[in-house]
Amino acid sequence: MLLRPPSAADRFRALLDDEWVIDAPLERLLYGRDGSIAEGEAGLVVLPETRQEVSACVRLAAELGMAVVPRGSGTGLAGGAVPLEGALVLALSRMTRIVEIDEDVPCAWVEPGVLNLDLSEAVRHLGLHYAPDPSSQAACSIGGNVSTNAGGPHCLKYGVTSEHVLGLEVVLAAGEVLALGGPAPDAPGYDLRGLVVGSEGTVGVVTEICVRLTPNPPAVYTALCDFASVRAAGEFVSAVIAEGVVPAAMEMMDEVMIAAVEQFVGAGLPLDAAAVVLVEADGSPADVARQAAVVQRVGRAHGARMIRVAADEEERALLWKARKSAFGAVARVAPNYYLHDCVVPRTRLVEVLEEIGRIAERHDLVIMNVFHAGDGNLHPLIAFDRRNADQVARVAAAGRDIIEACVAVGGVLSGEHGIGLEKRDYMPLTFNEDDLRAQACARDALDPAGRFNPHKVLPGAARCGEAVLEAGHLPEGTWL
Amino acid sequence: MIAPDAGGGVAAALAEASAAEQTVAVVGGGTHGRQGGPAPTPDLELSTAGLRAVVEYTAADLTITVGAGLPATELADLLAGPGQCWPQADVRPGASVGGILSAASSGRARLRFGPVRDSLLRAVVATGDGRLVTGGGATVKGVAGYDLPRLLVGAHGTLGVIVEATLKLWPLPPARAWFATGGGLDDLLQRGKRLRRRAVRPGAVIVTPGGLHVELVGAPEDVAPPDGLEPADEPPAIAAPGLVAAGVSPARLPRLVTRIETMGLPYEAQLGVGVCRVGVASAAAVAAVRDAATALGGHAVVADGPDALREDPWGAPPAGAAIMRRLREGLDPVGILNPGRAPA
Ligand SMILES: Cc1cc2nc3c(=O)[nH]c(=O)nc-3n(C[C@H](O)[C@H](O)[C@H](O)COP(=O)(O)OP(=O)(O)OC[C@H]3O[C@@H](n4cnc5c(N)ncnc54)[C@H](O)[C@@H]3O)c2cc1C
Repeated sequence: MLLRPPSAADRFRALLDDEWVIDAPLERLLYGRDGSIAEGEAGLVVLPETRQEVSACVRLAAELGMAVVPRGSGTGLAGGAVPLEGALVLALSRMTRIVEIDEDVPCAWVEPGVLNLDLSEAVRHLGLHYAPDPSSQAACSIGGNVSTNAGGPHCLKYGVTSEHVLGLEVVLAAGEVLALGGPAPDAPGYDLRGLVVGSEGTVGVVTEICVRLTPNPPAVYTALCDFASVRAAGEFVSAVIAEGVVPAAMEMMDEVMIAAVEQFVGAGLPLDAAAVVLVEADGSPADVARQAAVVQRVGRAHGARMIRVAADEEERALLWKARKSAFGAVARVAPNYYLHDCVVPRTRLVEVLEEIGRIAERHDLVIMNVFHAGDGNLHPLIAFDRRNADQVARVAAAGRDIIEACVAVGGVLSGEHGIGLEKRDYMPLTFNEDDLRAQACARDALDPAGRFNPHKVLPGAARCGEAVLEAGHLPEGTWL
Repeated sequence: MIAPDAGGGVAAALAEASAAEQTVAVVGGGTHGRQGGPAPTPDLELSTAGLRAVVEYTAADLTITVGAGLPATELADLLAGPGQCWPQADVRPGASVGGILSAASSGRARLRFGPVRDSLLRAVVATGDGRLVTGGGATVKGVAGYDLPRLLVGAHGTLGVIVEATLKLWPLPPARAWFATGGGLDDLLQRGKRLRRRAVRPGAVIVTPGGLHVELVGAPEDVAPPDGLEPADEPPAIAAPGLVAAGVSPARLPRLVTRIETMGLPYEAQLGVGVCRVGVASAAAVAAVRDAATALGGHAVVADGPDALREDPWGAPPAGAAIMRRLREGLDPVGILNPGRAPA
């Protein structure tokens, strides 16, 4: 069902060159999905190139009564960029300028469509990089990262996106451009910048971002530790942290995932291991030596069968390639997959992993695990075939069981992918009515009329001034 | 003065105060009392001193949940047991966890550990109209909805009273020590710049009138005197009737310091961070520091001082002031919380 006025495309063509207003049904279809399993329908797609064009498009959308769904690269896994009810999709993929690099801070001002990896490549010659490194970093945009508060393997030590956003510029519902923060710390006033980070496109369109850049570490140690049981691997991860060492990254992969990845990448992963943990430590040579010694000692104490230390940058890159192409590898062995994302206290990792194993058995599904173990951030991945209706129903049921298992041990709904559509209706599992109302107050302060990305993040009718919270329904067939 | 011993009690007191349209001053440890603008004496004082419980601490999770009134020094002692710390906080004797968060008081080791804002994972807050609201999540990482905890940090209690906080912790560094040297300003700034850009970041690189102070943090081998610096004590806090905190881009901090040096005021400039704290004794000095900071694209607020220095504590209204007011209307609809403290 499309709720857009018939002349909408022509009106937008008065603002942008024809080719940047997409109305053809087939092309629009491409913008109906993101990296998740949700499906919607774009009423119209526009691709502005400047903040002025964004502002003009947002203003016109308001005039036409169209909701606006900002879109980066569309790699999101929570359905955040999926348009409902024929909303206007405002794609930022043409805004790809790195506006300024200030080595002296060090920071960079970038447009939202700049790809995560492109930024790190662009500052490599300065000995700097952009620390948050989602596995999708070659494809996802900084604007999308900011809007989802993205994480990545190295966020264990360096922190998630919000810790790296010094300032940003956002276009609000009336088209006004609001600049928040920048390299000067502790601006007076409430931290609206922090509120926009992670708001999943529901409060405005982020049109420029000032990100902190991080000096490359002088020394790095990368090791692949191989375990005969998932329990041993999980306990190893907790024990390293308990020793007072927070490595740069600690990533875990289970047996099924190892097999899929090894076939795809050929990194020499041990096919008979029940789990491997990829550990990276960085810092000064002395600090790295200290951390490496702990990893070795704790690894042996927990029965690591082998600790393969990357001998050079090439081997390190290969091990990381294995980790980061995990999802690509799965795509080759399963027609569809549903990737979950929740966080549990690190000390509960093992019991939740075991519970997930039981959930897989109970629902007769293949669940693979590859995740940010150091943070307790699980990514159980359910392989399925969407043409099999019975299987789809079991996938949905298993998904709910996984989320409930995480919440039951004090976990949170999402570590980094966001709430979007996917987990919207799970929000009451961890938040009561007052909590959700307060969140609605935060959202509504920025977007009082609810023009941006409606139906996302908060269940149904959650609004600031009202106490009622009935779960509004999603259009039939939107999710799974 | 009331001091409820549970979050529910704080919420109930605020609900009552809202109904009676009574204004409420929120007090933590009382160390941040002299902030914000002049305001009529509040009808009620509410202390968080009764909220000192350690709600949950599993050391291996590197998180802790505590009542907001817990003194930060007590927290530090508790964490030191299993070798952990809350390194972003400015732990002054008497300051409470909730007060440090509400005032966004980051410590000197910010160059290495970041601002205190980044350490709050979850908060329970009593809103002005007496609801008890939880935001964020108790795990080291999470994006479950809008980031209310971040909004509360630096809100000076004007959006609600933080009653409980879950903090992200770090292992205590194996070694840390201060080193110092003296000299002319240009020379100190040059040397400071080289030090702050070390690939392994120092805890702090601080320039004061005539002095360069560096705190190194990390493996014992890395905590050795840098070229030309001697082991030293941590520089003392500025002694002055009032304190202004100026913030500029770290790239422009040397220019700000150079201006402030000509004013003859005591200061402490945190290189690489962009914060310069300046001791002041007059409203004219506040204005002069603020002019220098705003000319460089920054800002300056009065962080401490008697009423006479706090006629204009924040400077020009921040971008998004109307949004900030809407936020406050949503969470404190009657407007009872901390009169004079709201920055917009
Ligand atoms: C293979 C694979 C691996 C992944 N690994 C990780 C990982 O390790 N860590 C992680 O955090 N995520 C990961 N993701 C998820 C995804 O890549 C991230 O959520 C990413 O941040 C999304 O960026 P995007 O540009 O694709 O945004 P989109 O999917 O286009 O949008 C995401 C959300 O942000 C909003 N948005 C986008 N741009 C803007 C803007 N400029 N202004 C306002 N709102 C905007 C959208 O409305 C939507 O709600 C992975 C995804 C895939 C497919």
